[in-house]
Amino acid sequence: MQTLSCPSCGANVNFMSKASVFAVCSYCQSSLVKQGLDLEAIGKISELHDDLTPIQIGTTGVLSGDTFEVIGRLKVAYEDGFWNEWFTIGHQGLVGWLAEAQGFYALCFPVTDVAMPDKSAIQPGRKVSFGPFGYYEIEDIHEVTCMYSEGELPINAVQGRKSLSVDLTSDEGGMATIEYANQETRAYRGAYQDFDAFQFKNLRPIDGW
Amino acid sequence: MAGNEEQPNMQPEMPADQKGEAVPPPAKATKPRVKSFHCINCGAAVTIRYPGVSLSVICSGCHSVIDATDENYRILTKYFKATGQYQPLLELGSRGKLRGHLWEVIGYMVRSDVSSGYPWEEYLLFNPYYGYRWLTQDKGHWNIVTTIKRKPKRYLTSETELDGRKFKLYNTGRAQVDYVIGEFYWRVMLNTQVTMTDYLDAPQMLSMEKDDKEVIWSLSEYIEPEEVAKAFKPQTKFPRPDGVAATEPPKLKIRHNKIMMLFMIFWGIITCGQIYYSGTALNETALDYTNNFVPNTKQADITTPVFTLKKDKANVAISFNAPVDNSWFWAGGELVNDDTGVSYPFEQDAEYYYGVDDGEAWSEGSGFTKTIIPAVPAGKYYVNMDIESGSFKTTNPRAFSVTIKRNVPNWDNYVWSMIFLSILPIISWCMMRQTEVARWANSDYSPYVSSGS
Repeated sequence: MQTLSCPSCGANVNFMSKASVFAVCSYCQSSLVKQGLDLEAIGKISELHDDLTPIQIGTTGVLSGDTFEVIGRLKVAYEDGFWNEWFTIGHQGLVGWLAEAQGFYALCFPVTDVAMPDKSAIQPGRKVSFGPFGYYEIEDIHEVTCMYSEGELPINAVQGRKSLSVDLTSDEGGMATIEYANQETRAYRGAYQDFDAFQFKNLRPIDGW
Repeated sequence: MAGNEEQPNMQPEMPADQKGEAVPPPAKATKPRVKSFHCINCGAAVTIRYPGVSLSVICSGCHSVIDATDENYRILTKYFKATGQYQPLLELGSRGKLRGHLWEVIGYMVRSDVSSGYPWEEYLLFNPYYGYRWLTQDKGHWNIVTTIKRKPKRYLTSETELDGRKFKLYNTGRAQVDYVIGEFYWRVMLNTQVTMTDYLDAPQMLSMEKDDKEVIWSLSEYIEPEEVAKAFKPQTKFPRPDGVAATEPPKLKIRHNKIMMLFMIFWGIITCGQIYYSGTALNETALDYTNNFVPNTKQADITTPVFTLKKDKANVAISFNAPVDNSWFWAGGELVNDDTGVSYPFEQDAEYYYGVDDGEAWSEGSGFTKTIIPAVPAGKYYVNMDIESGSFKTTNPRAFSVTIKRNVPNWDNYVWSMIFLSILPIISWCMMRQTEVARWANSDYSPYVSSGS
């Protein structure tokens, strides 16, 4: 773990993952970008109202016998609602994303070394090759905007960051996501799992539940 | 608290020796902030129980659909229909534990099939950890519905497969919203229709809902009304279940399958036994007796020589052969144990007639007749009998013969036990079929009716 200090308030800012390039100070909510061993404050993340989610930074879960821990969060809004992408770190620093929306939970991991189709070629129903992982079919395409971020993240998750999020499914029940943002294209693949199967710990307490 | 009994040992939060006076914000419990405001259309008070997850809320005054995420609570759809007041069976805001989890009723919809007008009720259940479920109510029958993310395999229009289970096409149609109240995790659209396709494998149904934006698959499962009532303790009494619901557990089918399995077991045992006893039967001739008789007379007290029956407790076949020719021959008497005097009566009749009627030849009967006496102990026996005959053309003495066979293979009992054994499976099959026909009565794709009817 790397500990740096917030240039804005001086509080410690921890980085659990080497992949993280961005963090939000948990004291002063400054959005911070990693510049070598320094942090640069580029703004503040404004408070989130009406945030009803059972996950929080520090929640742990299990997928296929491996434990992971939530270390960051990106909440995005799209035309018909919003969802959370929780940045996770697991065994040997393996990072992933826990997607959470409407009681559905999927953990997915970055797919590298596989060329993704150009943004302009994306349309529902199209099959996309994920190399050794087979083909995935495009289900939905959403224009998304970052509405909130916290913890540490591998992307520059400032509020208002725009990206194109593409959901895909495989015949074998797997799911995948392609994210087109600025000049970058990132692909992830994973699987949905029942809430109980994740064996979540340190969940966010919700009053009355 | 769901899954939160144990404290985690991985705490990524700030170390305790944090420099400075800043104290990390404690992990505070999220309190769902119930929001109340006035509907900009009619002024009635509107409450959002779960802001942040609910996207639309319906004004209880004017039934307009309001954008729950908009700070001005703009109206998404004005609701014009003043008719159709529906009273939900489960109260909005009521909670119940169903299938191991606590659920709160947050939304209520009445939807109907566009072409037939057939209505049903839908209750939206919410749990912040487990998301959403639906309870549907149709003619007093309830189903619990879960949206699924995995896609069923569809290689036939009449069939689909999920998790290795095959579902048969049950219905297709378009659904519309007739009534709506409460809050929902999407922006409720009135005046729009969705295409619905249902596939059945009772007690579950796989449904696809499609609009111009997306395709949603869900899995419903039959739930007993008592289970729903026990969970939510409603004020209103539920309507009595009417008819057979599509997803009603196929109890009669399961029972029939059990009965069929028992039938097969008994069939196997009895058949094996029969084959064994037939194969090991002595089938030995104990006596071959021939004598003369004077046709068209009665002769009493014909006694055969004494013969030996081996093998304890086995059957005895007594057969007669008489030269009947448009005539009859009758023999009656008893098989008598020479040592004990125990007797086994028998009576037999051999008739053979033939002729030509309207140019067609016919014949019936034969000169051979046989009877089987069961369970005769071993020992020395003789037969004592009277014989009688009639309709013979001449009274010249003729010969008749009696053959006594010990322990012959006999299939009569076997045939009767098979018939008896089949009664229960046939009855249970009829009952099962009746239920299955009723189950598919609301379907356009019933396998029990021809497409023409």
